[in-house]
Amino acid sequence: MNGVSVVGVGMIPFGKYPEVNIVDLGWPAVKAALKDAGIDGKRIEAVYSGTSRGGAMTGQRIMGRLGLAGLPIVNVENACSSSSSAMAQAVLAVGSGAYDVVLVIGVEKLSKYGGGTLPMDEDDWEIGLGLTMPALYAMRASRYIHDYGLTLEQLAGVSVKNRKNGALNPDAQMKKPVTIEEVLASRMVSEPFTLLQCCPTGDGAAAIVLASDKVAKQIRQDAVRVRASHLTSGRFMTGFRDMTSPEITVRGAKETFEEAGLGPEDIDVAEVHDAFSIAELLYYEAFGFCPRGEAPHMLTSGATSLGGRIPVNPSGGLLAKGHPVGATGAAQIVEIVRQLRGEAGARQVEGARVGLTHATGGGISGFDHGACSIHIFQR
Amino acid sequence: MAVEATQTRPRPLLCGDAAERDAAGNVVLVGGRCADCGARAFPRSPVCTGCMSENIVAERLPRRGTLYAFSSVHIAPKKWKKPMRIGYVDLEGDVRVFTHLAGGEFSIGDEVEVDIGAVGEDEAGPIECFVFKRVPK
Ligand SMILES: [Zn+2]
Repeated sequence: MNGVSVVGVGMIPFGKYPEVNIVDLGWPAVKAALKDAGIDGKRIEAVYSGTSRGGAMTGQRIMGRLGLAGLPIVNVENACSSSSSAMAQAVLAVGSGAYDVVLVIGVEKLSKYGGGTLPMDEDDWEIGLGLTMPALYAMRASRYIHDYGLTLEQLAGVSVKNRKNGALNPDAQMKKPVTIEEVLASRMVSEPFTLLQCCPTGDGAAAIVLASDKVAKQIRQDAVRVRASHLTSGRFMTGFRDMTSPEITVRGAKETFEEAGLGPEDIDVAEVHDAFSIAELLYYEAFGFCPRGEAPHMLTSGATSLGGRIPVNPSGGLLAKGHPVGATGAAQIVEIVRQLRGEAGARQVEGARVGLTHATGGGISGFDHGACSIHIFQR
Repeated sequence: MAVEATQTRPRPLLCGDAAERDAAGNVVLVGGRCADCGARAFPRSPVCTGCMSENIVAERLPRRGTLYAFSSVHIAPKKWKKPMRIGYVDLEGDVRVFTHLAGGEFSIGDEVEVDIGAVGEDEAGPIECFVFKRVPK
């Protein structure tokens, strides 16, 4: 594999844009990423566009709007991992030597569904019987509380930390900090989760320009290198499964660290898939940032807060920045690239050199998750 | 004629033929066992995840199991009874079942037993499915 670097990133602030169609959500992010890279759009050789609910040909529609169509465009659907999976395909394409400059898009418009939980495919056995995404994560939380004595206050602390970070991020959907009391007093969704422990639904778009190392040096001096790019699917299991240790992320993390030649101790900053409060705690352990059962302590010690040993979700994460499903993975990469370039403003992780992104999702029977894509970047 | 016949017949269970009654009238779940490699699954699938064999036989599952995890769900599509109590139950033979829970409070590790109950209601009337209930200690 040839080396691959990120030379440009862009996104629109996540939020609710009921009047804006998905194409008009997407193109400003692409334009921002091209401007950040300082290159002409005609230099893009291929596009990998991720959306879960955006419909057919979303990548073509966005590139067409900018007058940049007429090149290979691949649309990727992988639920919450749609644009991180698109990124993995783009890295393979550049790494193989097929292209020198490619574009990754992540875009989603969830405001079209109105409020409430995201509609799911009732052809799936468990969804058809009534399973919802909050309920699935809530069962993980119930088991973690049982096995490790997590308190409801500790669980609420994840939302408090991430909303505090989101308040420092101009691109976040939820910019108001909250207290533990407010989190616990918000409306009950699926016990033990209250509303403020569930990521909001919303709209958003993010884009990334990748270049081969050879070309990246000509584009900019501070290009951020892709140290590892990983994509996997969950294993189908009909019997026992430890819901406090999601096998898809545990396996994905191990393989990603092997590919990078790095370990959890080398990560300076991470964006992980905190769709619900419990998820962030499970992922501290899945990535080996702390031993099994010690995530609540790691959170309350401040180790994962800004200024701590390894800040997690400095952008506000899915809980505060928002979770327009297919756009999430690309937006995590935007955040980590900004962190590694020292451009994260009030939420900057001082001296960050190595950063990690993790997007996993797809609630289908028999799997922890359908897809998981992990990336490691180094400046 | 056919329309009238379907109207008078009771509404099928939400889980279809994945639950039935045994000779004693007790509700039992019906899973699949691969006749070639022995792998079990619930619900039963036309093809084995262990060996890709299509030689799958229906097999009644143990009526009792252990509650692995659960949640009381307050926000979910309108048709479901609220709060909607749902959980995963582990049955002997390494089969995990996603299920609605009926009656009373639950704790992880509870011994539970399968039955049939109403889990919701829509335009066509009550929605019935297999459920698990706590076995009194
Ligand atoms: Zn078999």
